[in-house]
Amino acid sequence: MPDAPLSARLYRALLNLYPAAFREEYAQPMEQEYRAELASARGRLAVASLWFHTILDLARSVPAQLAAEAARDTRHALRLWRANPLHIAFTIAALSLAIGANTGIFSVVNALLFRSLPFQNAGRLAALEFFQPPHDTTSQFDAWRTRSSYLADTALYEDGDFNIGQERMARAHVSQTSANFFSLLGALPYLGRTFSPTDHDAAVLGYGLWQELFAGSPRILGSALRVNGQTVTIIGIAPPDFDFPNHTALWKTAVFTPGNNGWRTIARLKPGVTWPQARAAFSIEAPRLWPIRFNPADPHHSRIVPLRDQLAGPARKASLLLLLAVGLTLLIACANVANILLARTTGRAPELAIRSALGATRARLIQQILTECLLLAFVSALLGIAVAIWIAEMAPRWVPGPLAGQTYTILDIRVLFFAIALAVLSAVLFGLLPSLAAGYTHLFPARGAAGFRHSNRIRESLIALQVTLTVVLLAASVSVSSGFARLMHADRGFDTQSPITVSVSIQGTRADLKGSQIAYFEQVLARLRALTGVRSATATDFLPLSPTGFMGGPFRFDGRHPDRNSDFIPVFSDYFSTMGAHLVAGRDFTEADIRSNARVAVVNDEFIRQIAGTPDVLDHLVSIGSEAPWKIVGVVKSIDFLTEWFVGESDRGSPQIFVAPRNPGSFTSTFIVRVNGRAQNYVPVIRDTIRAVDPTVPVFSAETMQDRLDQAFARPRLYRAVSLLFAAFSVLLSLIGVYGMVSYAVAQRTREMGVRLALGATSLGARSLLLRESMLAVLIGLLCGTTIALATGRLLANLFEGVQPLGPAAYLLTAVLLSAIAAASIWSATRPLARLHVADILRAE
Amino acid sequence: MSKDDPTPLPPVLFHILLSLAEGDRHGYALKREIAQRTGGKLNAGPGVLYGAINKMLELGLIQESGDRPDPHLDDQRRRYYRITPAGRKAARAETLRLRQLADLASATFGVPRRA
Repeated sequence: MPDAPLSARLYRALLNLYPAAFREEYAQPMEQEYRAELASARGRLAVASLWFHTILDLARSVPAQLAAEAARDTRHALRLWRANPLHIAFTIAALSLAIGANTGIFSVVNALLFRSLPFQNAGRLAALEFFQPPHDTTSQFDAWRTRSSYLADTALYEDGDFNIGQERMARAHVSQTSANFFSLLGALPYLGRTFSPTDHDAAVLGYGLWQELFAGSPRILGSALRVNGQTVTIIGIAPPDFDFPNHTALWKTAVFTPGNNGWRTIARLKPGVTWPQARAAFSIEAPRLWPIRFNPADPHHSRIVPLRDQLAGPARKASLLLLLAVGLTLLIACANVANILLARTTGRAPELAIRSALGATRARLIQQILTECLLLAFVSALLGIAVAIWIAEMAPRWVPGPLAGQTYTILDIRVLFFAIALAVLSAVLFGLLPSLAAGYTHLFPARGAAGFRHSNRIRESLIALQVTLTVVLLAASVSVSSGFARLMHADRGFDTQSPITVSVSIQGTRADLKGSQIAYFEQVLARLRALTGVRSATATDFLPLSPTGFMGGPFRFDGRHPDRNSDFIPVFSDYFSTMGAHLVAGRDFTEADIRSNARVAVVNDEFIRQIAGTPDVLDHLVSIGSEAPWKIVGVVKSIDFLTEWFVGESDRGSPQIFVAPRNPGSFTSTFIVRVNGRAQNYVPVIRDTIRAVDPTVPVFSAETMQDRLDQAFARPRLYRAVSLLFAAFSVLLSLIGVYGMVSYAVAQRTREMGVRLALGATSLGARSLLLRESMLAVLIGLLCGTTIALATGRLLANLFEGVQPLGPAAYLLTAVLLSAIAAASIWSATRPLARLHVADILRAE
Repeated sequence: MSKDDPTPLPPVLFHILLSLAEGDRHGYALKREIAQRTGGKLNAGPGVLYGAINKMLELGLIQESGDRPDPHLDDQRRRYYRITPAGRKAARAETLRLRQLADLASATFGVPRRA
């Protein structure tokens, strides 16, 4: 009816909202009825009223009809599923694993690595790295920060583990901060107040520590607390999710002392200042204020970075790859689903042909298939959510200790929605497309083979795609894993396995009294060395793998001014032998050196290369400032300290100077013990021996060097675990895909195979034929995958700590492994052919 | 509401049966009759009406009696419906159910039965 009024045409369009079967039956009389009503409606008001009632009618009846139709189609789909449960089980398994595993893994890693910052307007916060602003006194710092042209405000903090309490001491992470620390971050106290410029010796307690020490009592405000022997007054409680920096449990007002270069600087950009502007302004200011770190070639040069980037660190880049892995596995799963549904739709051609012959229209059949696909996606999504929740709950068991301490939200809803949406899309797309594309929804050939060859090609391409993606993921996983192995077994200049380490903190204890520190350490070392089974023992304030601070400066060699800094590491006697370091020349420190506070030093090979310039350094002098010089008595190969800022990267390139300690214990000190036999067995007795010397000194972190190495590499370990999971998952999915494709092909070609057998072929021959044909798709996938993996290998190496591109041998191994698995899967899928009898096939015909 | 015992019948279904008992009707005629009978209180739109008809066809309460022109309306060809024996049975059962309910309500609230 081309001359129909607009209103009637609109109604006709709205009738499309009804399900197909209903529409086919009643659209015509309904339109007739509407036109009759329209004809009798006089005036605008009447037409408006008619539309009001029509819309009401649609709103009431469309959902009812849709629900009834969906229920009918669902019943039909369930009947079909019961007839072929294996196929459907494969599809649901693939989809729900894809949704669940991806959402679960991504959520956990996402929560571990990139928690959102509990700060106000966090995007405007900056960290000034490798930079010390003027900080000798509070007024000097205030004068600088209030005059800045590009920073609204700047705050300083310095953090470390401190002893808290008096009788029974607890260890907690403490930060001393400038008074504006909380206001700069925009953090409001949970209780009480934060620092004001006039506060001295004030402290804000972390929510967790407040609960732990004082059971959350609000009366604690105003009372005193001992922190490393210093008395502070508690003025406020931090909000529950606030633990910046580094899981701080207590913040106290900073004490500015000239020469303390351990400050970290954070700032907030002035309104309207862009990041490039801030960087430009900083690069002008920084060389003047802090000249020693201004060489852009130096990886540790002064710079201003978004605080968010600094906190995410290397994980930021890794997150992109993680998303990529999620995407790839989802793609593999979708290819799988596509494959199985494609096979099903083709396989259902006879059924659809019969229904079509019985009068079902194209729209009706499409709606039926659509319902089935949506049902599939729905069931898979439900199971997927269960898998995701399971993974999120299991996560704390797999996730390495230091990272597991963080609290995190369990499921990332965005990823869940994305995964479900993709699952639905792939189910609908691949369930529906083949029937549309092949054009036989309208007239299904009951026994035609013309359409099958076409869809076989699609399915083989999908298998090739799956194998391609699997190779990429597998290669990535192998290279991340081998990178991790390399990281764990790298030569770091000391024994990373067997030494036992026990940390103490003497700050604020009796052992900390002036002049008694060395005596305390000597006493502990003497007792340790007297233990049976102990080969040697030593102590240091700076333990490799877990340094809590660092000292260094422009040390001179024979009075010559250097162009770079050397690290300065005080150590006790027998340090190098206990650590398993490689002395190249000279000797270790002796007890006599320590007791007489001899001015002797051991330097590393980098000191020789970069500062001395000659290998002949023994008996030469190193000095700094106006202090008495040290005489070099030994040369050692570089020891990799793995400073906390660069976990994973080597800092063995720095010149190092080891000396006998003068007043040890000002940082966290660690005793290091080498024993005969299994180190693990000695840990308790060594810890107890140290504790017995002075029970007021907190003793903690009693563990082997291996344990500390594991913690230092917690993040690479997490990467390895995650990449292995993704790879295993993709292999599993591909297997399901290959198996599904081949078993479908076997079912499709039973007749052909029967004829071959009748003509004298053996069942072994028939199976080999299918194996050859199917392996072609797999091999194409392997080829494509290896090419892509080769291209992306370098990218991976740039993004992950410690990862290196794989060699050809690794690719060959991956390819051989995958094709072996695929071949085994194909062979087992062709098993029905071995039981095939010509007579059975002919009878079925 | 099942195929064996469709009671209680939703009001629209009952009214359709009531109309068809007097003779074959097409959808639009049913709609107008029902609206008239209820003083416009029950004015089923096309969606609701044909939803009800579809349901009644499924339940076997009515059947199609072929397409023919409607001389009273506009002579357009329309699809007519006819009540089935099952439809009559269901209508009787519904009437009985309603009467029992009305009797109970009359006794309870003291409304005298109409003579």
